[in-house]
Amino acid sequence: MSMPAVALFERTLRLETRSWLMCLARVGLLVIILFVLLPLQALGRAGWYGAPGLRFLEQMTWINLVFISLAGLSYFASAITEEKEEMTLGLLRMTDLNPIAILLGKSTSRLVGALLLLLVQVPFVMLAVTLGGVGLAQIVAAYGTLLAYMFFVCNFALLLSVIFRNTATAGGVALFFLLMFFFGCYIANAIEHSFEFSYHVNLSNGIWPDITWAIGLWRAAIPSERLGSIFQTGFSGPVFGFQVISNLVLGVLFFLLAWLAFDPCTRHEKDAAPARRWFIGRKNRPSRIPPRLVGLGAITWKDYTFIGGGKFGLLMKFMVLALVIGLFNYIAFESNALKMREFEGGVLIWTSLVATAIWLSLDASRIFRDEVRWKTLSSLVTLPISVRELAYRKVAGALAGTLPLLSVAVLGFVLVPDDLASFLNDMLREPVNFGAFLVVFFQFILFLHLVAFLSLVIKRGALPLAIAIQYLGGGFFLGIITSISVAVRFQGMVFVIAFGCVAATVFLHYSIGYRLVRAAAEE
Amino acid sequence: MSEPNQPIIEIHDLHHAYKRQQAVRGVSFTVDQGSIHGFVGPNGAGKTTTLKILATLLKPQRGVVRVFGLDVVADYKNVRRKLGFMPDHFSLYRQMTVQEYLDFFAAAYGMGLAERNRVVGDVLALTDMEARRNDLIKALSRGMQQRISLARVLVHDPALLLLDEPASGLDPRARIELMEIIQELRRMGKTIFISSHILSELALLCDSVTILDRGTVRYSGSMAGLSQNDGETAEYLLALAQDHPEVEATLKKISGVTAIAKDAKLPQYRVTFQRKQTDPNTLLRATLDCGAQILGFQEILRQLNQAFMDLTEPGVPPMPVAGQELPTPSGVAPGGLE
Repeated sequence: MSMPAVALFERTLRLETRSWLMCLARVGLLVIILFVLLPLQALGRAGWYGAPGLRFLEQMTWINLVFISLAGLSYFASAITEEKEEMTLGLLRMTDLNPIAILLGKSTSRLVGALLLLLVQVPFVMLAVTLGGVGLAQIVAAYGTLLAYMFFVCNFALLLSVIFRNTATAGGVALFFLLMFFFGCYIANAIEHSFEFSYHVNLSNGIWPDITWAIGLWRAAIPSERLGSIFQTGFSGPVFGFQVISNLVLGVLFFLLAWLAFDPCTRHEKDAAPARRWFIGRKNRPSRIPPRLVGLGAITWKDYTFIGGGKFGLLMKFMVLALVIGLFNYIAFESNALKMREFEGGVLIWTSLVATAIWLSLDASRIFRDEVRWKTLSSLVTLPISVRELAYRKVAGALAGTLPLLSVAVLGFVLVPDDLASFLNDMLREPVNFGAFLVVFFQFILFLHLVAFLSLVIKRGALPLAIAIQYLGGGFFLGIITSISVAVRFQGMVFVIAFGCVAATVFLHYSIGYRLVRAAAEE
Repeated sequence: MSEPNQPIIEIHDLHHAYKRQQAVRGVSFTVDQGSIHGFVGPNGAGKTTTLKILATLLKPQRGVVRVFGLDVVADYKNVRRKLGFMPDHFSLYRQMTVQEYLDFFAAAYGMGLAERNRVVGDVLALTDMEARRNDLIKALSRGMQQRISLARVLVHDPALLLLDEPASGLDPRARIELMEIIQELRRMGKTIFISSHILSELALLCDSVTILDRGTVRYSGSMAGLSQNDGETAEYLLALAQDHPEVEATLKKISGVTAIAKDAKLPQYRVTFQRKQTDPNTLLRATLDCGAQILGFQEILRQLNQAFMDLTEPGVPPMPVAGQELPTPSGVAPGGLE
């Protein structure tokens, strides 16, 4: 490695290790270890678990896997895009650094930072052996799996960071492909199985055996599959299996692709500002604010049009939704498992709810962040309205873009009125069910607030970090509380949890207002 | 509401600190209606903090700030309706076209479609950007983006414009054109409060000026007042047809003359005197009594950049700590504060 590359690596590593977010992540992981360890030890002593060591290792490994996939992904995906956004990549290219030195300097330091997060756990994870039920080979195999997977994620995100202009796009595309990496083989498997009863396809002929073999290979490369086999009692497989080798090979391949793509993708400095989407309208036919939306409504219109994509954006969302629903129907049709009305109702309800949740989460991560990033908040805040009104109007604009998706869920409910009635009946008859529904609902509202708040506090990765905090940290916290409430037979605990979610939401609500005022003044 | 002859901006004993860093310490000044008021000071002097407080983006921690007689904290919505703030960065939605951007802000101020069409056309004409109305903002040059920023603050026809470094980073032509627009806005009756580092242009443009350094006001008043040094002493240039040895000795004897400096090459003298003790006529008469032939006798007026250098401290200041008083610098004009 040339000396300039070492200098870049050193500088980036220094910045990363000094970052308060990395320190917070290290502390957070140690706290999670504590949260996992203490109840397991207590439950192990009480004889609830036969192999507390294995449970401990299992839980820690899954947490790490999710953490690498979410927080790590956005962390790695900003390696080159952050230089593009700051318009400093051109300056780096003007120095003696060649593309490979820049790529190594920017990505290796992040990889080292992330590796430290794993290494800091090692002494604690060794406690698993003391707790019992797990061998050293399993620990080494589990952490080998994680390290190889991290190398793969780092280089895949690096490639997308080279290709795309900004971190949000690179992170979003990386997340999509990573989800496909994890779940694509199961979907492919399901589609293939659905053809078993098909009159059109014969799975034992043509290219189908090769496809089956490829799907099997794909499945073996997924870390979750590998971890599943490692955590089986009496694991005797190789410490470094196909998953480790394939992930490392893919990582090297993605790095080489990033190197090849670096020059063509970064030769010309491009504006990292959000691009005007083609569906917003032609430049010579500008989007005009309808007369009824003057005043505060104009802010709603702006976010509905330029963040949500306006009416064309809605059309696109409906098309994607229709495609997914069509896919489910096709699979059901091919597998001859069609119970028309109930099936359609379920597909419509769950597809639209999941799509709405994803869209709202994405909106929450950028609704305020984009204003701060492009320093446009001060011009909005000097409008003759309060910050609270401004924020609510922006939220209304984002909601306007997702409410039509919910209408599909309403259509689903219309198709299955009996199911809806029995659901409501359950709610009214069993307070615990109603409490559980409240917990789920308020947790999601809390999650959206957490995403919006984090997007004002950190530069990148608000959404994955919020998922990690709420559904890992919060999940463990809820698990402990639920265990206690079951032990003491206190059914009202769900309402206490729901109230806790509301209290946390109110706190974040006011904190967002405070951060917005501060961000506008700091521009 | 503001009354006739009442200053548009009134700031009294303003303090603001960021954590332990004191940005503004006891700032007081006023700005008259219909004037162009320059706001100058070295980096870190507290200009942007003061501007943000005026623009209602920051709350003053101590002191009173009124715009049009309205308190910027209690009556912030009415203050915002009456002022337009152009920050020192481009606060632009770069994926919008020029027309969409201005139309959005006009609508946000509650204007109907017909009124918006008229207003957007007017501000584009004023900023000479009509031809670029359908262009994406991100495709415009820096100077053009600056014009769009200015057009944005004009859409609701504010009586007061707060401009933070409007000419920063512009080429000479763009700067001159921007200054012409600002003069046109003054002719339209607007009060303009402009913070800038380009002192030569401010000197031509402004009626009054406030010089800020290390969070305190070093001078606030008219440009004419600034030119006359501190107001108590005066400096004149006396040019003679030829050297006359008696003149220097005669002038030195006059009560109130504090210094005489002779030019090394030309028969010229810089005479400094106390206005309260003597006057230019006495000096002229004394010179003529010596039999000297006078070619010129005029007051040496200080330029804005000279005043800036005199009134502000050199070098990077230590970080002022909240609550700690810094010594008054030697350059402060005792009578300079209004």
